[in-house]
Amino acid sequence: MKITALLVLKCAPETSDPVILANASDVSHFGYFQRSSVKEFVVFVGRTVASRTPPSQRQSVQHEEYKVHAYNRNGLCAVGFMDDHYPVRSAFSLLNQVLDEYQKSFGEAWRSAKEDSSQPWPYLTEALNKFQDPAEADKLLKIQRELDETKIILHKTIDSVLARGEKLDSLVEKSSDLSMASQMFYKQAKKTNSCCTIL
Amino acid sequence: MRQGPCSEEGCFTVLKLFEHVLESDPLINEVGFIHPSQFNLLDEEAGSSSVYQNELQPNNETSRKFWNQDHKLGISTDILVQLCKDAKHVFLLAFEEYKRHGNACNESQIENFSCSPGTPEIEVMRHSQAVLLLSSDFGTAWNARKLILSKKDQLSAFTKELRLSELILSNSPKSESTWSHRRWIIKMISQRFSTPQVIITKESELVESIGERSKMNYRAWYHRCWLVSYMAIEQVIQELNKSKRWAGLHVADSSCFHYRRRLMLKILESLYVKGGNAYDKSEARKIWKEELDWNKELVERYVGREALWLHRRFLSLNWIIYFACNDLDVSPEPGESIIMNEEIAIFIDNEIHLLESSMIVPDTKFEDFQAQALHAGVYMLWLTKKIPELWRMVEEKLGTEKVKCVLSTIAQERPSLLHHLVNV
Repeated sequence: MKITALLVLKCAPETSDPVILANASDVSHFGYFQRSSVKEFVVFVGRTVASRTPPSQRQSVQHEEYKVHAYNRNGLCAVGFMDDHYPVRSAFSLLNQVLDEYQKSFGEAWRSAKEDSSQPWPYLTEALNKFQDPAEADKLLKIQRELDETKIILHKTIDSVLARGEKLDSLVEKSSDLSMASQMFYKQAKKTNSCCTIL
Repeated sequence: MRQGPCSEEGCFTVLKLFEHVLESDPLINEVGFIHPSQFNLLDEEAGSSSVYQNELQPNNETSRKFWNQDHKLGISTDILVQLCKDAKHVFLLAFEEYKRHGNACNESQIENFSCSPGTPEIEVMRHSQAVLLLSSDFGTAWNARKLILSKKDQLSAFTKELRLSELILSNSPKSESTWSHRRWIIKMISQRFSTPQVIITKESELVESIGERSKMNYRAWYHRCWLVSYMAIEQVIQELNKSKRWAGLHVADSSCFHYRRRLMLKILESLYVKGGNAYDKSEARKIWKEELDWNKELVERYVGREALWLHRRFLSLNWIIYFACNDLDVSPEPGESIIMNEEIAIFIDNEIHLLESSMIVPDTKFEDFQAQALHAGVYMLWLTKKIPELWRMVEEKLGTEKVKCVLSTIAQERPSLLHHLVNV
């Protein structure tokens, strides 16, 4: 069971792209040369999913080996990159907690954020470590009654989150979040995700 | 002698550089293909000062070809294709030379005193290593190595080969030729020397770490299952215990449970070994019961996971046939009817309770309760197909309404499966 990354973003209707307020990721289980690309992808996918998560909505998107869970609470959005094994309920429980803690620590200051923050938020890094075990997230469930009343939308692919006519490939190409190296890595990964590799 | 497109000294400098880097750092444990723009970033992240320069490469971003620090080796994609072609070309030349003259020097070389013992062989090994790191499925290169290795009589040659194969897997974890070559090495080791248990244990751990990084890696897990045939029963039990934690953290991964089934099958096989070496049945029974209880915990905790229910099919069926039946000294015949007894009745009763509680679908979209109901229903239906006598018990205990509910759940999601299971 693994959490690869936790993000907090500002999603406001007037900005076209969500702004990243906090980012904690653990890419140590990836190949040495892929780690920086993975970090970039977390930012890219996080922004893409967050911008397509309307306020008060929860959704989960299956993307390659992750499930990306997103919860937009009145413009403040928490996104988690978990694996297939991590229970969905525990994931949303954690995202809820992250949003509560963020507002406790920073109040409403985020509403005026215009640029990605590069400052690490210690709580988020701690949470990333602590909640690797979903049992910890389940402890939170006992105090979170509101979780039961909301529905979540499940997407089998990231394509179903995109608008009609939008393709992931072209978003990848146009994205300023992804370096040349990551673009190459993306194309390569598409080919090698099948069982056979031909160089 | 065939000439390449240019004189031998001028050409293949990049290949020579590649082979030199490999030889100068024998502890390289990971290889990857990198974009040229990554060189500076990698330097920064590795914390190297600007003083570090690979003396063989100019410190000019446009001509950096290899990145080697902390025992990692990155190969620039700019040079990759040409390097691979060159490596293949040089390897094939060397292999031709080796096949023509064996490991002996040819006459002109002896006359010129330019031959040193072992050169053709060393050349083949050096160049095949280079080409396989770039293109792991090149069969001819693997075969050349097999040919040369089969003439070796030191264990160290084979363990060194395992290390190379592991390095290749770091970049191509799904390469069938590489996994197959590993099996060849292990077979050779077990034929010529004994099979140290340590090697099998390390292989098993390797698959687990590769399975962690590389999802849906059927070839890696097949390899792990293959290892079981080399395990003594004590090691089988050890493996079962050691891999339990990983399985519990990867409940969506069917492969790791498939591996557990392979181990448990080996336990079953060992129950009926003749000559007084049979494994103790009461011990096996304990292990089986533990696995059933653990599976139940997982099924209840992680709702709607098909891999867990598939595992339960195997566990329950074999529990009924091998352990709950009246004690037999011989292996049950396939297709033999099950004689119902109290123990089986109690077991089925518990399974029906599990089914009943799994059929409850609360109105929340969080957990996959719908999937749980489906998998539980399919599980029960599958069991009754394997052991027809059970169907009557299920009908009696559940009652017609609930049975209809189970069948309609399956009909909704998997109509063809229902058709297959219900058809006599």
